[in-house]
Amino acid sequence: MKNMDNPIKLQKEILKKTYLIALLPIVSALITGAMDVLLGFVFGLVISTLLLRLKYNNIRRALKMDEEKAEKFIRNRYFIEYAMYLIVLFTAARNQDLNFLAAAVGLFMMKFTVILWTILDLFKDSIQQKLESYK
Amino acid sequence: MVEFSPEVVDSIIRIASFIAAGTALIAGVGPGIGMGYAAGKATTAVRRQPEARGVIITTMLLGQIISGSTGIYSLVIAIFLVFSV
Repeated sequence: MKNMDNPIKLQKEILKKTYLIALLPIVSALITGAMDVLLGFVFGLVISTLLLRLKYNNIRRALKMDEEKAEKFIRNRYFIEYAMYLIVLFTAARNQDLNFLAAAVGLFMMKFTVILWTILDLFKDSIQQKLESYK
Repeated sequence: MVEFSPEVVDSIIRIASFIAAGTALIAGVGPGIGMGYAAGKATTAVRRQPEARGVIITTMLLGQIISGSTGIYSLVIAIFLVFSV
């Protein structure tokens, strides 16, 4: 993974790749005319983007604290984040204009991107190692 | 064999789904504890090696992104159980 020593650049890269992958469901929802799916997906994606920024700020704040304080701080912040996810999913489930599953997939999109990216990097590394061993 | 009326069966299913939803929400507690533990260790690591701060933050960020997803899985299942039955 590139930019492992620069968290801001890494965030930008994650967001860029997530939006690039998210174009596929957005365009397919636009073509089929499923507006509730589109709205739900965009809703989930926007919330996950904002929560990534919040996570980064929390980590930066936690690193200035003692070990015990940081542990408690991150745990409490996680539960606040969990409540936010609950509110988002509850809203998507209650609202007729938002598709619940699309909102859930929108929330997961960033995690899927990171996992996919890591797997691709692993493949790249293993192929490069094999090529070098043949030389 | 005891036979229940459809209303009783319906209410039993509804109660069971609410209990299952509540149980599914417990899964959200684990990632919180794990993330807190990781954050605590990260602060020690930064204090020991301040020049590796950037790498520690990015590793922690990626770890938190991935580990937080199990909590959302449980939330999705819980809300699905509450609203689908």
